[in-house]
Amino acid sequence: MSNYFSNIFEAVSTLFTGLGITWRHMLNIRKDNVTLQYPEERWPRPERDIGFNIDDYNVIRSRLQVDIDDCIGCMKCERACPVQCIKIVTTKSGAKGEDLPDINHTGVTSNGTKKALIVSRFDIDMTECCYCNLCTYPCPEECIYMTGGPNSHKHPIDYEFSQYDRNDLIYKFAKEIDDEKLSKYFPQKEEAKA
Amino acid sequence: MGVVHGDLMTLNIGPQHPSTHGVLRLKVKTDGEIISEVEPIIGYLHRCFEKHCENVTYEQVIPYTDRCDYIAAMNNNFGYAVTVEELMEIKVPERVEYIRVIVAELNRIASHLLALGAYGLDVGAFTPFLYMFRDRERILDLFETLCGARLLYNYIWVGGVSHDLPPGFIGAVYSFLDYFEPKIEEYNELLTYNKIFIERTGDVGVMPPEVAVSYGVTGPNLRGSGVKWDIRKDEPYSIYDKFDFDIPVGAGEMGTVGDCWDRYYVRMVEMKESVKITRQALKGIPAGDVHQALPKKIRPPQGSIYKRTESPRGDLAYYIVSDGSPIPYRLKMRSPAFTALSVLSEISQGWMMSDVLAILGSLDIVLGEIDR
Repeated sequence: MSNYFSNIFEAVSTLFTGLGITWRHMLNIRKDNVTLQYPEERWPRPERDIGFNIDDYNVIRSRLQVDIDDCIGCMKCERACPVQCIKIVTTKSGAKGEDLPDINHTGVTSNGTKKALIVSRFDIDMTECCYCNLCTYPCPEECIYMTGGPNSHKHPIDYEFSQYDRNDLIYKFAKEIDDEKLSKYFPQKEEAKA
Repeated sequence: MGVVHGDLMTLNIGPQHPSTHGVLRLKVKTDGEIISEVEPIIGYLHRCFEKHCENVTYEQVIPYTDRCDYIAAMNNNFGYAVTVEELMEIKVPERVEYIRVIVAELNRIASHLLALGAYGLDVGAFTPFLYMFRDRERILDLFETLCGARLLYNYIWVGGVSHDLPPGFIGAVYSFLDYFEPKIEEYNELLTYNKIFIERTGDVGVMPPEVAVSYGVTGPNLRGSGVKWDIRKDEPYSIYDKFDFDIPVGAGEMGTVGDCWDRYYVRMVEMKESVKITRQALKGIPAGDVHQALPKKIRPPQGSIYKRTESPRGDLAYYIVSDGSPIPYRLKMRSPAFTALSVLSEISQGWMMSDVLAILGSLDIVLGEIDR
């Protein structure tokens, strides 16, 4: 019988211990508030004091971005991708390092590398991307990167890129190239076809 | 009057059920409200991890290991990296070892916080769940500054780590640990010694040590049964032999040795030990280049290796067969959660219907790892 009452006493007392803790937290609600009101407030923000500034970030995982003028079409990112979400098609450029204004092709990258290939297709399917960041490390021109964070000087952060249509999530970075104009530079290719 | 036995009723729990911790289906045969058989049906999250690994290169396997035990992805990366390094005989720099231990122990804390919080939720305590998630969030914030990702890191690479620590990281970890240590006492007050919680978990789902050993249960579940076995101590990998820490074991404080409460409490004490290890590692971290030992091309010599590491769920092992090519010939992962789930049927016999979820929660399974 005494056991019965001591059990009840124990249950009630531990219950009040727990309630006391929650009550303490409720009194400190202004100080301890950890919830972000998402559409109005956004992380990352330096104000949320975890001792870090956004500039201190090593790396960030967000949408992939390609500066296509710097791309030399080496396909290292395509090979590094574990889920094969990057698709690249290149054509050999007859004139190495020369600008081809008809097809919007720049001959030299911002690092000074002369391009030998014309990138006619550079698609990244962000629905397949697993955000492992493996594609960005091998790039010799550092033209494929994730937006924001340490790369914010190249492209502002973009992590809210939902779409109504799934096909809109396939990002096409290559410039649209007219086949006719391309064939002007490569007449020999046409002959081979014929 | 004797016990009346009726027909067995088959009850289906899951695959979509908040207490199954993922997509797990339990086929429960009940006699009244007493459990006579539990059959876990798995495979709903099967993603062909092992077959995938036979088609991607060694460095591309790491994002896949993230997705096995997604609660403790750092530990999965760690185990894989250690295994391949031993196969290739790579000696990684001291700084890398320290960084790995720090992130692995932080992730162990994060994983245990989720396990304990969700366990409280399973048995009806909502507040601890929110508090533990609040603190877990801080660890994820730290990881985000470290490698950009909050859950699937791809941070620990073969021969190194992807990035050195960002400026101010060590101070931020120190301040987190200072903040976190008193919180453990708060959790204890709030949940551990709560009478209702003890009634739900103490003396429930007892797993005797011999059952645990014969089923191959490892990690906190095994230590909850009073068996002192921890790979970090008994078969040290990386630099765990340099640190001074204890291995908590279940003592049957609130009932019998090996009950749900013991398994729960072992995790709680283990977080304290992880804090201890992290502090020592932060103190001893040397300077150095973290990319120094990264191999140009990962092409292990012919042969095979089986290496185990201690993940938050237990003995996580990789078996890799290499044929000398840059792609693994065969990769097998020994999942600690799988063995933990296999013992469920044995230890939940004879308990009440509502105890099954208490027992399942105390085993701390992650379906991503079980189904792979």
